[in-house]
Amino acid sequence: MIPPLIELNRVYRTFEKDGEVLPVLQDINLQVHPAEILCLVGESGCGKTTTGKIIAGFLDPSQGQVLISGKPQSAYRRSERSKLRRSMQIVHQDPFASLNPAHTIEQILSFPLRRHHMVNGRNELRRKIWELLTLVDLTPPGDIVNKYPHQLSGGQRQRVSIARALTVNPQLIIADEAVSMVDVSIRIGILKMLHRLREEFNLAIVFITHDLALAKYFAWEGRLAVMYLGRIVEIGRTQDIIQNPAHPYTRALLSAVPEADPYVTKKKEPMKLRSDNIPSLNNIPSGCAFNPRCPFYMPGTCDTVVPALSNVSQFGQKVACEPLRLRGELRLYET
Amino acid sequence: MSFVNETNILIGLICGSIPFIMGLRSRHFMPAVISLFLCAASALVLGIPGSFIALFLMVSLIFSYTYINEQDPFLSRKSIEEVEFNETNTEFVVRQMAGVGRNLRWLGKALWRNKSGFVGFLGLMFFLLMVTVGTRMVEYEGETQIQRRQPGANSLFQPPSDEFPLGLDGKGRDILSHVVHGGQTPILTSFQAGLFSTGLAITLGALAALVGGYIDVSLTALANLVLTIPSFPLLLVLASIFALNDNTIIAAVLASLTWPPLMRSIRAQVLSLKEREYVEAAFSLDLGLFHIITREVFPNLVSYIAINFIFSIRVAMYALVGLILLGMLTPREPDWGTMLWAAQSQGAFFNSDAVMLGIAPVVAIALFQLSLILFSRSLEEVFNPRLRSDV
Repeated sequence: MIPPLIELNRVYRTFEKDGEVLPVLQDINLQVHPAEILCLVGESGCGKTTTGKIIAGFLDPSQGQVLISGKPQSAYRRSERSKLRRSMQIVHQDPFASLNPAHTIEQILSFPLRRHHMVNGRNELRRKIWELLTLVDLTPPGDIVNKYPHQLSGGQRQRVSIARALTVNPQLIIADEAVSMVDVSIRIGILKMLHRLREEFNLAIVFITHDLALAKYFAWEGRLAVMYLGRIVEIGRTQDIIQNPAHPYTRALLSAVPEADPYVTKKKEPMKLRSDNIPSLNNIPSGCAFNPRCPFYMPGTCDTVVPALSNVSQFGQKVACEPLRLRGELRLYET
Repeated sequence: MSFVNETNILIGLICGSIPFIMGLRSRHFMPAVISLFLCAASALVLGIPGSFIALFLMVSLIFSYTYINEQDPFLSRKSIEEVEFNETNTEFVVRQMAGVGRNLRWLGKALWRNKSGFVGFLGLMFFLLMVTVGTRMVEYEGETQIQRRQPGANSLFQPPSDEFPLGLDGKGRDILSHVVHGGQTPILTSFQAGLFSTGLAITLGALAALVGGYIDVSLTALANLVLTIPSFPLLLVLASIFALNDNTIIAAVLASLTWPPLMRSIRAQVLSLKEREYVEAAFSLDLGLFHIITREVFPNLVSYIAINFIFSIRVAMYALVGLILLGMLTPREPDWGTMLWAAQSQGAFFNSDAVMLGIAPVVAIALFQLSLILFSRSLEEVFNPRLRSDV
């Protein structure tokens, strides 16, 4: 069996802020398999970007293990490690900030190509740049190569940064809110292109988003992980989770997704939460972090036991919900 | 004329004729004429090496007109199936030179765009010409000219006349010759001081920001310490203890007192730049620390550094002239500062015949400073990549 490209094993991550220690990630277990789509969904501040950075190797976990192709990083030699790091590329949220304003697109793409000897000679370099730009649908490439990032639109820039990630033949691309700053009309085009690239190059994609509708569209064939306050609350195949959400938080999220059809949206009843306040990271509720907001709150259990991910749903996804595990169903909490 | 070196001019004209003929053949008359003129001018100012540099630049300029982008398949509007990339070495050299020429044209445009900056540029060119060609045009008078004494006059001072447009100083020497020849030392020394101070500031600032930790704390503390020292009084003390004769040493002493403000801002800039997402992307592409510093961080600092370089030249020149005016440096001739010192010590400001001895260097220094300040406004336009577009 092929080992997962990357595996997070009981990963914890804390940040220090004004002397306080914030637990940003707690007990994260994740595997990314070759050529799969994994989508991380959650509110802002839930730790999705931190997870992405740990996967990409920009951050080290405070506790726990990151296995790359089944082995910890320390098991690799230095040269192998830099190769591994290259095989995981990140596409940032803000295409205005992720391209250096001082370089032309040609330069931006040629730096990694030349540095890692991906091409021989200038003619091959120029062909490769054209190929990359054609791959990300920036045609005709001749119009783009000599431009500076500020001369391109947001969507074009995002395509350039995807092309830059492709220069080093990665196995995994981490798309951190990659389309949330792009005009809505251009989003689908970029997502379709990512799908195409995934098939063409056998890329695994970790797609980080706060938008469940986007996740549903993009990761329909893949897996979805819903995060809440630093923990994964539900993980499984996207189709299972979207059609049969088990965790109360996932249900709440899904009931709040607007549909394109206004009649459907109007009829849709968003789930009533007991509170709209998101607890802050320096004061995470005991037990299940969602318990103060959860309409299915079970006193004595939810506020004491930290739920573990388990197979409680008949649809195959793993859910971290104690009442569901104990009773097999959720009952509304009556005061 | 005596100041023209015929051989240099001839070589300059020969060099200039190459881009001139190339320009005429491709029917670009303006660039052709400009090329010829600039080749001759740089031969005059910088000699034979100058004319060869100008030859290269001007041929590049002509190439940038004749080498049309559409010829390059890389920039064509074709699709990838229709193009062949098989450039020969000659074509490559021509393309690179055309790139240099395009940058030159862009530089000219950027200078021209900001009108006050362009005036400053012209002013600086004027001073450059003055200290190179001007010194050959105006003969320097170092000895006392006792024979110019007017009958009945009690000093050798003379007000401006037809023969001496700025008059004579206390030793009967032409003030104009001192203004022209006296620029070299202060300009060169303050330029050196600016170079040292900027270099020190960049090195220490980048080091503090990139290494961080203990080094950062101690370097910042050092900068703060130097900032609190009143620099001009300290200079006075230093100059009175040590005999500061060597220009380079003077420049180094000036630089050692003026680096902290720039160092602190460079540190702040680098701290902010190194957190940018494109730097993170460069790390993940494994482009190497050297590349990241020189190609990702530095280009975004250049305009800032250049402007501060100009300002540190200004500060250094004031300090230098001030020291000489107060008599704290050994008076050396010819020098604008020494002229001021002489004017002040010989009471020239109270003598209507002699007042030009004080006014002339003041005007020269003020004009030079003004040119620097105006020129620094152009630098932003020259170095800011966001203002760049295709020429």
